[in-house]
Amino acid sequence: MDTQWPRWEVFKQDTPSKPHQAVGSVHAADPEHALLTARHVFARRPQAVSLWVVPAEAVFSVTKEQLEAGTVPFPETPPTTKPTLYYVFRKTSHKRSMTFVDYVGEVSAAGPAEALKEAQSRFTDAEALAWWLVPALQVVKSDPSREAIESWFEPAKDKTYKQQQYYATVGSHVSKHKGAKR
Amino acid sequence: MAGKYGVPTDPDYPKRLAEFEARIARGEKIEPGDWMPEEYRRQLIRMISQHAHSEVVGMLPEGAWITRAPTLKRKMILIAKVQDEAGHGQYLYHAAETLGITREAMLEALLSGKAKYSSIFNYPTLTWADIGTIGWLVDGAAIKNQTMLAQCSYGPYSRAMVRICAEETFHHKQGKEMVLLYAKGSPKQRQMAQDAINRWWWPALMMMGPHDQDSPHTPLLMRWGIKTKTNDQVRQEFINEHAPEILEAGLSIPDPQLRYDPQSGNWLHGPIHWDEFWQVVNGNGPMNKERLAARRKAHQEGAWVREALEAYAAKQQKAAVAV
Repeated sequence: MDTQWPRWEVFKQDTPSKPHQAVGSVHAADPEHALLTARHVFARRPQAVSLWVVPAEAVFSVTKEQLEAGTVPFPETPPTTKPTLYYVFRKTSHKRSMTFVDYVGEVSAAGPAEALKEAQSRFTDAEALAWWLVPALQVVKSDPSREAIESWFEPAKDKTYKQQQYYATVGSHVSKHKGAKR
Repeated sequence: MAGKYGVPTDPDYPKRLAEFEARIARGEKIEPGDWMPEEYRRQLIRMISQHAHSEVVGMLPEGAWITRAPTLKRKMILIAKVQDEAGHGQYLYHAAETLGITREAMLEALLSGKAKYSSIFNYPTLTWADIGTIGWLVDGAAIKNQTMLAQCSYGPYSRAMVRICAEETFHHKQGKEMVLLYAKGSPKQRQMAQDAINRWWWPALMMMGPHDQDSPHTPLLMRWGIKTKTNDQVRQEFINEHAPEILEAGLSIPDPQLRYDPQSGNWLHGPIHWDEFWQVVNGNGPMNKERLAARRKAHQEGAWVREALEAYAAKQQKAAVAV
């Protein structure tokens, strides 16, 4: 058995007006491979306009439960650490969803602990159930050019046979047999 | 990302367990990093990894028909469907990984024959109508189960299920459409569709697993919101939807005791042959050996691709360091 490749967290943006959202992870040998695999795994259907990948170990993740229980595994940050940019992702709802944390903005901080504090004071419009903090330098993005977006994400739109609407109502409408009860 | 996994010998276990169960009762999702009982983690890894393996092995019976699809349209549909199963396997392995098990360990368990996967994929696909019937009945049964699991208390599993259900609906519909067309077609086509229904009906009912009284995990899984319905409840939902539709299409169901019970509004089925189910689960189904052999062969034959990608990545890294 081979040793497994590193794991990369994947963020997908559905439309330009929506935030990047955590959709899951892939294993890949390098960032380019991670982006390609992310496209095959998470963008087989519309909508997508952009993908980000981040090495899984670069993500500092904290839940509300950990904060309340005082069990956050803060990493060591040497006192000489210089401030750097962090992307902030947050989850705010327990509702049924296919995505986890959403991108909310960025903060400048010396280490993840400070970044969390900064995020908690900046993004207060909704209660956070989970936070992800990612050094901006570790985020690898898909090509934002129009040509690349077309070539990566447009073909899925033409494959209408992958959508259930393509088949319309097959046979009788389900309500017919449901209505037969009693 | 590894969470804190509680065991009954921990001094604070009763208190943490009470808080944990209260969270689930409030409809909150448990996320990676949150406290959870070790047993909750263990049950989830067992279920999610089996589910992931089922998606991966599930590509084999259908993949065999891609080159023999009767039209270009049906071929494109089947390719997309098999691609989806590969993707679903990935979503699920990811969900299991959030509980601290590695992808490598799961793959190893599958290839060594140690891991279980859905027994349905150990049946052969004998004719083209099997492809439609798998979509309609096998994916139909899977969706009932997955819709239930989308309500699961563990966030990553629930999210994978929501994503899978959205895609799986297409699998169900294309299969149903195909079988209904054959049911209206020539006598030969009708016969082919009927033969497929005859062979897949019972294995599809077995997909939900043993009856509730023979399913020892169920009460705990329900209490912790991993499952939100029992095997028999999910099976009943499946039969109630599919039995009238099959009969309406003029096809028959290979269960002489199947009948509609106006009192409960349920379609009641005859006894299920659990001996056959356990034979297949324990490795003696018609296709168990072939399926595993195919997985191992694919893994071995892909070795050079993995090596090449790794070599390329190492070269890129070296060049980046040199700059």
